[in-house]
Amino acid sequence: MTAEVGTVRTVRRRPDAQRAVGLGLGALVAVLTLLAPLVLDRSQLTVYILTGTAAMVTIGVSLLMGYAGQVSLGQAAYYAVGGYTAGLLAVHGTPPLLGLLAAPLVAGGLAGLVGIPILRLRGHYLAFATLAFQLILLAIVGQVDFLGGDIGLQGIPQLSLLGIQLMTAQAYAWVTWVGVAVVLLITRNIIASRPGRGLRALATSETAAESSGVPVTRYKIVVFALSAAFAGLAGGIYAFFIGYLAPGSFPVLLSFQFIVMAVVGGLGTLWGPVVGAVVITLIVQTLNDLGTRPGMPSYASGVFSYAVYAILLVVVLLFLPRGLLPAMADLVRRAFGRGRRAPAAAGTAVTVDDSTTRQPPDSP
Amino acid sequence: MSAFLSYLISGLAIGCTFALVASGFVAIHRVTRVVNFAQGTFPVVAGLTVSSMLGRGLPHGVAELIGIVLAGVIGLVVGVIAIGKRGTPTLASLVITLGLGILAYAFEIIVWGDQPVSYSMLRGAVDIGGARVAWQYFLVIGATLVTFAALGLFFTRTYLGKALSACASNPYAARLAGINPIRMGLLAFALGGLLGGLAGVLITPLQPVAFDSDVLLATSGFAAAIFGGLNSPYAALVGGLLLGVLEAFVAGYINASYQTEVAMVLIIVVMIYQASRRSTVSEEVS
Repeated sequence: MTAEVGTVRTVRRRPDAQRAVGLGLGALVAVLTLLAPLVLDRSQLTVYILTGTAAMVTIGVSLLMGYAGQVSLGQAAYYAVGGYTAGLLAVHGTPPLLGLLAAPLVAGGLAGLVGIPILRLRGHYLAFATLAFQLILLAIVGQVDFLGGDIGLQGIPQLSLLGIQLMTAQAYAWVTWVGVAVVLLITRNIIASRPGRGLRALATSETAAESSGVPVTRYKIVVFALSAAFAGLAGGIYAFFIGYLAPGSFPVLLSFQFIVMAVVGGLGTLWGPVVGAVVITLIVQTLNDLGTRPGMPSYASGVFSYAVYAILLVVVLLFLPRGLLPAMADLVRRAFGRGRRAPAAAGTAVTVDDSTTRQPPDSP
Repeated sequence: MSAFLSYLISGLAIGCTFALVASGFVAIHRVTRVVNFAQGTFPVVAGLTVSSMLGRGLPHGVAELIGIVLAGVIGLVVGVIAIGKRGTPTLASLVITLGLGILAYAFEIIVWGDQPVSYSMLRGAVDIGGARVAWQYFLVIGATLVTFAALGLFFTRTYLGKALSACASNPYAARLAGINPIRMGLLAFALGGLLGGLAGVLITPLQPVAFDSDVLLATSGFAAAIFGGLNSPYAALVGGLLLGVLEAFVAGYINASYQTEVAMVLIIVVMIYQASRRSTVSEEVS
């Protein structure tokens, strides 16, 4: 890696104090989330785990859409592929840990293969192709008998590590924590590296990137495969935790949900997807509890969650177009009365603005 | 032979409804550059509305009109939220329409419940070459052709239509000529709503519609619209008919459970072929 000339906004050179605050915050979040499973009850742990798996997929979406500028409306397809890979291997007696490792590999590999033809498409065309891929995949899964067809794959055994079976939700929560940490670390290293800058370049203009020596096609396929691998890992954990998979568990709406989380949290940021996943899952879960209280009509919980997704998404996009995390960061920076306000991005797609320029030395 | 004919006609009819949804996509995209992901909502709302209006004893004609107009109004509302705020980036507008499509679910479930509904418009069938073909199919095809002819006249013969086309080809020049692109964008959204509503009114007697039918309707319409690069209503018509007929043949001759998927694979193949003939530069400039 060359000198730290161009790094992304989230990891760019910052004044030491600010950097220390960031590191401290990160460490605090890490420790708190690591300790949280000790005090949460069973149903809260379920929410914790589902938030974590959603965050993993959403980080991949943010990497793919926010940094590389490639739209995928079918990310739940790779979540499903990961889940089915892990589930199927485990059902047939493969050690569960191997199944869990195979989940991201198969999902990533499949995305790599699918990506070769599909990533020739751009913009709306790509959006349609990824969405169509998910619909096709679900239809096929629904027809194939050894995947359980429309009824689903049942009796997936518990995950076991080094011969110890993970029976408690607590253990799954920690597995999820490790998964999110790994995904965050990989993503952080990629966006801070030379290929990461290549990705941001090709998001702006493939022609310009190509002529500056960025292997555009290869990078697009690799980042697509990587984001699918993140989704696959999340799907694997989901499969072991829930123990049951059906095509109906992975609707198109789930793919949209990952995009909503990424956009609400802040597309093209490292922590934004995590914030988005946590905020949306918590709100939806709260409303779900509210909707299933006695006295509520039977459709209440569905209606609540649809309405909340939608309203949150629209309000955030209209009034905080860069997402919650960048908006909050701005607020904090301004509250401390120093630091310039980051320039408002023209679109939510790319944040390349100050990636190639060193911060002016006179900035606070 | 008779099977072939009946597949062909039913395919054409379903394709016509795809084409109507698609022309809504096109009408909105041309003017605003926004792909309206709420496009599937319009046919669903129109279909559900007509069904409950007919249930309340309203006569045919009035019920359908109410359904279509309501879809147009909803189109306008979607437009106001998606592009009404000055300076909303296109991608943000796109995701907003996606959100509004999901918001519509909430309303639809409250008002109509989550069960699919249907109604009958034109009863009876006719013998053609030994095949029994329901009159409804001919009604759908006829109404679609009339609509497309009217659209053609509207875009080329009226000031409003020309203003829309002007915004589509060059919004900056259109502004210099005194046309307000945002107002035209809203008009395009209303038009998209009307076209989607018409599609819904026509298709509900053929395929029952529920609140979540919008995904398949929108995907099929989008596939048809993308045939012409989302910019030509006539290419969308061709795309829709092709998709409809393909689906009908796949369902008839191969396997009904794969019809949509096979059609989608073919559309993707066509898209990749088209993309391989365009240069990257030309796509990035446009």
